[in-house]
Amino acid sequence: MSAMEIIGAILLLIGSAFLFLGGLGIYRMPDTYNRLQAGTKATTLGAMSLILGVGFLEPSWMIKTLIIIIFIAYSNPISSHALARANYKRKHFPLILHGDVKEMDAYREVTEKEENKEEKK
Amino acid sequence: MKKILIILLLAGLGFYIATTYTGIGFGEPHFKHGVKDTYLKQTVQSLHVANTVTAIVVNFRGFDTLGEVTVLFLAVTALGSILYKKRHEVGVRSVLFSSSSIVTAGSKLLFPAIILLGAYVFIHGHLTPGGGFQGGVIIATGFLLMLLAYRNYSVSHIILSIVESIAGITFAGIGLLGLIYGETFLQNFLPVGVLNNVFSGGIIPIIYIAVGFKVAAELTGVIYTILHEKGESNG
Repeated sequence: MSAMEIIGAILLLIGSAFLFLGGLGIYRMPDTYNRLQAGTKATTLGAMSLILGVGFLEPSWMIKTLIIIIFIAYSNPISSHALARANYKRKHFPLILHGDVKEMDAYREVTEKEENKEEKK
Repeated sequence: MKKILIILLLAGLGFYIATTYTGIGFGEPHFKHGVKDTYLKQTVQSLHVANTVTAIVVNFRGFDTLGEVTVLFLAVTALGSILYKKRHEVGVRSVLFSSSSIVTAGSKLLFPAIILLGAYVFIHGHLTPGGGFQGGVIIATGFLLMLLAYRNYSVSHIILSIVESIAGITFAGIGLLGLIYGETFLQNFLPVGVLNNVFSGGIIPIIYIAVGFKVAAELTGVIYTILHEKGESNG
């Protein structure tokens, strides 16, 4: 085994471990935000290192795998942002807000100001 | 108890599938005789097409594909006629909230990439997995992204129907040209070219490009119609 193959195999192992943890997190976590957290970790670190490992195992595919990694790094944050924002806008607030702790939710004040502005218009 | 039963059942199913497929070596023939030998020989030797599925779908069974395209067209027409009951009222989209600037800015860069991928899929339909239907659906998802990201994004129905008509006429016209220059409807009359080239396979790439445009236009029209349907106008 050459050094490239060993690096590729280690990256594949890290990627599959993160994908497994991401799947477990989506199953175990209590609310949408925590699940999104687990899911995005799986796609960024898991899928990226998996694809990079494939690139190390097949060096002629390296450029293609890098392009795929750039695409994932670009599209994954946008989609998870849109999911979290849509969930928030439908009044599914983070679980911590149901207790007495309210200082965590800075975004809520911003959105309420925006909504008030839109209503005034 | 239920979960353990499900896991056991899945494990048994996985074991069965794994043992079945390990019995067949990769790339070895596992059916001795049949029509597939004829197809496999013909696609590579006389048609010079790398993707056998595409050759069967577009060349050997091209008339069937024309029928499938017609079925899709009829389905889209029926959907449009149902949703367009109150045409003069259509045009207001029920949007709960507009998208954030991250989504709108990101979709600007993603949209051309999606269109490029769709075009790649249907242009290379005779070389790689995929084809006109798949490429058209990918392009329609690009328009869906733009419609979701931008509140006022609109698609011209006139342009859509023109593109759709031209694509349909191209498909049928190539079939008629095959009748004129060859012997049967949709027969290959163009030079087949070199195997694994983009310009190979005779009429297959042209038909798949036409199918790709047609499917993309039809599905974009469907998405646009569904998004612009008024929620409360139930007849």
